[in-house]
Parts: sequence; C-alpha cells; structure tokens
Amino acid sequence: MKDKAAIVGIGQTERYRRGASLPKSMMDMAIEATLKALDDAGLTVNDLDGFAFYGGAPADPGSMAYLLGVPHVKFAATLTAGGSGAAGSVGMAAAVINAGLANVCVSLFVLQQVPTGRFGGSSEGPRRLPSAGGGGAYGGSTNVSPEAAFVSPASIMSPGHNFSMLTQRHMYQYGTKREHFAEVCISQRNNAMKRPQSVRQTPLTLEDYFAARMISDPLCLFDYTMEDDGAIAVITTSVDRARDLPHPPVLISGSGIGGTGNNAHLLGNFQMPDLSFASAGARDVAKQMYAMAEVGPQDVDVALLYDHFSPMVLMQLEDFQFCPVGESGPFVAEGNIRYGTGSIPVNTHGGNLSDFYCPGMTHIVEGVEQIRGTAINQVEGAEIALVTGGPSSIPMTGTILKKDR
Amino acid sequence: MSTPAIPFKYMPSPLFTDPYADAWTVPFWEATMREQLTAPKCTNCGKFRLPPSRWCAQCHMQDLEYVDLPGTGTLYSFIIVRHALTPDQKDYVPYIPAVVDADGAPGCRFVSNIVDVEPEDVKVGMPVKVVWNRVSETLTLPFWTAA
Ligand SMILES: [Zn+2]
Repeated sequence: MKDKAAIVGIGQTERYRRGASLPKSMMDMAIEATLKALDDAGLTVNDLDGFAFYGGAPADPGSMAYLLGVPHVKFAATLTAGGSGAAGSVGMAAAVINAGLANVCVSLFVLQQVPTGRFGGSSEGPRRLPSAGGGGAYGGSTNVSPEAAFVSPASIMSPGHNFSMLTQRHMYQYGTKREHFAEVCISQRNNAMKRPQSVRQTPLTLEDYFAARMISDPLCLFDYTMEDDGAIAVITTSVDRARDLPHPPVLISGSGIGGTGNNAHLLGNFQMPDLSFASAGARDVAKQMYAMAEVGPQDVDVALLYDHFSPMVLMQLEDFQFCPVGESGPFVAEGNIRYGTGSIPVNTHGGNLSDFYCPGMTHIVEGVEQIRGTAINQVEGAEIALVTGGPSSIPMTGTILKKDR
Repeated sequence: MSTPAIPFKYMPSPLFTDPYADAWTVPFWEATMREQLTAPKCTNCGKFRLPPSRWCAQCHMQDLEYVDLPGTGTLYSFIIVRHALTPDQKDYVPYIPAVVDADGAPGCRFVSNIVDVEPEDVKVGMPVKVVWNRVSETLTLPFWTAA
C-alpha cells in the first residue's frame, strides 16, 4: 500500500475548552468536521464510502451515514484501544482503499469532556475493585475481572498514574530528569504561541514548570495534557484520484498498527519485560512502519509524537529511533526537538499539551500541513513527516506521510 | 506477622470490601487471610504469571499452582499521588502506588502500595517486605514497606 493513498482534506470544528461545546452534541461536531473535511478535499457526501476510525471515534458510523445521507457505505471499522490508534486510522484507510474495499474514507475524533465522560479520565465515585487505569476509553467499568483485583486495590486511578509509573522507572534506569520533561513542555508551548488557533498561548518558563503542583510525582500539572472539546476529521482517497483534487496529495507511505503481546498491557498490569517497561511500546511498530515506507528516522523532517504525557514523547524518540534507548533526556536537553534549530523538530503545532487535545488528530493535521507546505511553523522543505498514536494498549500506531513526487 | 491495630501511614482510600475472585484466583485470596503471600505458577512449564491469567502465554495450558513466597522483594517503580483525583480521595493523599519484584517468583510483579515510609525516602531498588492490611472478615490485602 506504500504511496498508493493520500490524505486530501482536513476539517475542524471550533476549539472549545472542556465542557464549553454544549449544547452541541458530539454527533453535531463529528458531522460538522466531516463536512468541512470533504469540502476541503473538493469532495461531497456522495463520494464518501468508508469510515476508518480509532478509539471508537467516539461516533457511530451508522448514525453518521444516516445523518449525512451517505448513499453507499462500503467500509466501517474502528481500531481498538484509545488514542493509540490515531496515526493508524489513516493507515487503515490507506489499506482499505488499496484493497478496493472503499474509495473515500473519513477518519475522525470527537471529544466532549463533560464531567461524566472524560476521555482517559479518572474512575470516579465509590466503587468495588475498580479496574486499573481509570475510566473512559481505558475501561472504567465497575464490573471488573478477577485479574483486575490484583491491581485495583493500589488506587491507580487514571492513565496519568500509569504513565508516571513508567516514567519513574525511566528516570531510575537512565537518569532522566524533570528538566527533560520540561523541555518537551516548553518547546511545544513555544510552538503553540506562534499559532493563533492554538488553545494555550501563555508563555511557559522552566520556573513556571517547577512551580506547578505535582499531580502524580514525578509528573506535574504541565506534564499532563489538558482537556478540550471539539472534532477533527481527515479524508483519504487513492493517490490517482488525489492528484485531481485541490490540494497537493499527502501520501501515506507506511503504517504500523500493532505491538507485542508481552507489552500489550502497557496501561494495566505492569508486567512488561524489564527492557521495555520504560518505553512507549512502539519499537515493533516503528520497525514495520519504516520498512514499509522504505525510510528511516534520519529521513524524517518533522515528528508529530502523541503527547498525552510529556515523558512519553521522550520514550517515543527512543522507540522511533531518533536516539538510542535511554538517551532521550540528554537528546532533548541538547535542543534537538526545537523548531527552527533542532535536528528533528517535534510537535511543531504544540501537540496535545499546548495546541489542542483531540486525541492525536491535531498531529495528523499538522503532518498534512507540513507536507502541503502550509504549516505556521513550517519546516523548510519538509517531505517526510512521522505521525504517531498515543502509547497505551495495542494497537500502538505510527504512520509516515510523504510529499507526492 | 501480626495484624496492626491501626491503619498504616499513606494507605490509599479503602474503596472496596470484598475480593472479586474466580477459580484461578481464590487460592491467592485464601492465603492472604493466613497472611501468606503466594504467586501462581504454570503447573506445566513452571512460568509464573501475574495477574493469574487463565492461560499461560508460554505453553498455552491453563492449570496453576500457588507457591508460597517469602514476602520480600525489590521496589521496581512507584509514584506518589499528591493530587486527589476525586473528592473521596482528598483525605488519602499522598499515597504511593508501587510495583514490586517479589522474591521467589521471577517475572512476577505485584502492584500494590508502599506504606509506613515517608514519600521522600521511597527509592526504586530499595528492599521491601510485605505487610498485611486486614480490611474485613473476608479480605486481607498485601501492602509493602521498607525491609
Ligand atoms: Zn506454561
């Protein structure tokens, strides 16, 4: 499927702080983003025939097809797990198009974090033996398995707690420091500050970082992604069709959608092998993706790495081979991820942390804009962009986007 | 080891009263009532597995035996929860979720809490030992503290 499909349209709703999108419904926003993405692509609902989602979107393709009046739905599926599937959703779209199952696919995410439905939020209220990893898409059912009883009593209540556990081990094994997490947060905030559409524009200094309250030591407030409402959609079609559409095609050159069984419970029970405990669980996926695209990390011009928690950006720099395992701390301290001066600019849009939290979709959009050459923090001559999904359960995903011809 | 009359320092909030168990996990909870730490081991290939999943990922057999452990181990990782995520947690911060490599059960990590140690004194790699929290007539939970 290498270079045989392309992203041709992007569409976004207004960006809201958590809860501020009411009284719109999630479906309102999903439809709005889809219509805008089709319009950007120069296509209509009559062309749309595929739904390639992740994390449940969470929007039902059947309802969307009904509300939009899609004449023929030829494919509809969602990748399992949560934000980890973001980058893989367009990889799935490319595979589906290449296989001839559908011609034009939409991938999207919609978020409305009203207090009862926070994506990746904590498990709330009294309960018996809650499942590990907290609520929302991470499995916050109160009907837990007997296996979960071996984790639940520890009161590890949210994804932030889980990733803090991985982070502490990374600090122990490799000497990684909070200054290194701060560099991720600050470099991304600097990128967001140049973009009028980014939600978080306040300057962030090292002093601010260390003054912030600790949430789950070693992670503080700024290490956590913040919460927003909104929807973002992208449209993928065959490269032949893409070349007749208004924007330059953004080729889907390679994609990895998976992981390894012994790392599959990254987010739940902490039984990963010692050598991959303090990782993003993406080493396998990275190899598959690079092999398919026939490129390596040295060829990547800009890396859009899913940042639900800042240390996971460090661990992805290792997993996606921008630096050796264990050396991401010094790597970022040397300024390597800075836009304009670094060897591999990371999250030039500001990421989940500072641009906008729509679990991973902004990374895809930034990748598309970088390859189109229209990004605000444009990497000069960018021809290859890496987009990743968020470290969590299988599938971990990564996708290589490439300039056409 | 005797059951302490007062709760441990830095215990997490007591969110539950009953174990939720099945045939694969009942022996573990029964042993905790005797204040004995155990770990499940594949009766076919000898691989330990926690949680006691229904299948051995190494040989794909289902049977388990529970072996007694000395109740000592090494702290593999931990966090200090300083911010209460929900109102019912407010009186219980800070608390210290922890992952422990248990002696006698290679490849098994217990997910629990460090108690009775000041947060600033908790270090990855420190030797730890199990302590027992008798929650109710039907539930005793293992916690860990400095050895
Ligand atoms: Zn076995």
